[in-house]
Amino acid sequence: MNIITKFKNMFSSKDVGAKEPAQNNVVDDITNITSEPVEENNPFPEPEPVVRRVIRVPEVADDIFPPVDGNKVLIKAQPSATSDQCLFMLNRPLFSGHSWWFPTFETAEGSPLAERLFSLEDVESVLVNEATVTITRKDKNICDWKPLGAEIGTALRERLEEGGELISQKIISEMPSQDEIQEGIQKAINEEVNPGVAGHGGLITLEHIKGNTITIKMGGGCQGCSAADLTLKQGVHSSFRKFVPQVGAIFDETDHAAGLNPYF
Amino acid sequence: MPKLNKFKIYIETGNKGIEEPARFCFNSHVLPLEELSGGTKPGETLEGGYDVHSVAHSMTLVGPEKGTWSLQKIKVDFECENTPPYSVEYPAVELDETTELNIWKDPPLPTFDV
Repeated sequence: MNIITKFKNMFSSKDVGAKEPAQNNVVDDITNITSEPVEENNPFPEPEPVVRRVIRVPEVADDIFPPVDGNKVLIKAQPSATSDQCLFMLNRPLFSGHSWWFPTFETAEGSPLAERLFSLEDVESVLVNEATVTITRKDKNICDWKPLGAEIGTALRERLEEGGELISQKIISEMPSQDEIQEGIQKAINEEVNPGVAGHGGLITLEHIKGNTITIKMGGGCQGCSAADLTLKQGVHSSFRKFVPQVGAIFDETDHAAGLNPYF
Repeated sequence: MPKLNKFKIYIETGNKGIEEPARFCFNSHVLPLEELSGGTKPGETLEGGYDVHSVAHSMTLVGPEKGTWSLQKIKVDFECENTPPYSVEYPAVELDETTELNIWKDPPLPTFDV
């Protein structure tokens, strides 16, 4: 009790002790309010924000080639957004169920399709995947793919019309099983790739595998990172191929636009 | 990221329809579809769209607040800046109060015959 209250009580001739309980009650009330959980006293709790799960379904793909009579080879070319690569889509399989990467002319030995493509001057590397071929060109300053694309189209058409094998028998016979490839890739992710990107808060996961074709997803600091493509091509690709040399195409299915905390 | 000028969506409802208005979510903003025709009862087809005029990061079709919405077919016509119009079609899918369907697709890269 402060001194002013004491004086007030003296002049009002009230019993000093009579005020004590009232003040204590006030204090007790405040203690009760603050000590009780807020949720129990709040009659209008705010609803939790609804976080919906985004469903992604593959779009219905139209057949890009019209039906043709006979054995006519149809090829469509699709240059990449960066113009350093071009995807050639054919109306027939080239390497069913598998893919193969030919980084140099020397690696194409014994594979007539790749040998024919490397005979063109500006071809740096060849990736054969099912019914597609992806060509990386040497001269990165040229954006127009039409002249080289026409040459590649002619080379592919001629080679297919000649018949015979397209990919070396050695490659086909020495192809590991899908389980062996999966085991090796997971080992590469666990031992080399993820410890490498962990410093940037990144995480790489093996999404699915078909034959020797790998699809990964990048998460954490890698998702939406401006250097994700560099990490993929210079880090992940080389690491996977070091652990499993028979790995073919490697795809990234990350939705980089949805990245919440990219490193760069 | 392309700038989406406008889009038109065609939604064919399967055997489970909804009473509430159809909504979409553009760059995390939930909006009602405009210029509506048709309906969202079983077997009906809803046509709607929106003049967006914004750079697209994400776009989804939002599920109903209550119940299940069975979608038989979804087709979206996109009109982006500096790109020819393109369409995307999605197969049958079911949405509810916990889900939304991604309906955004970047403009396809141009192709040519060789």
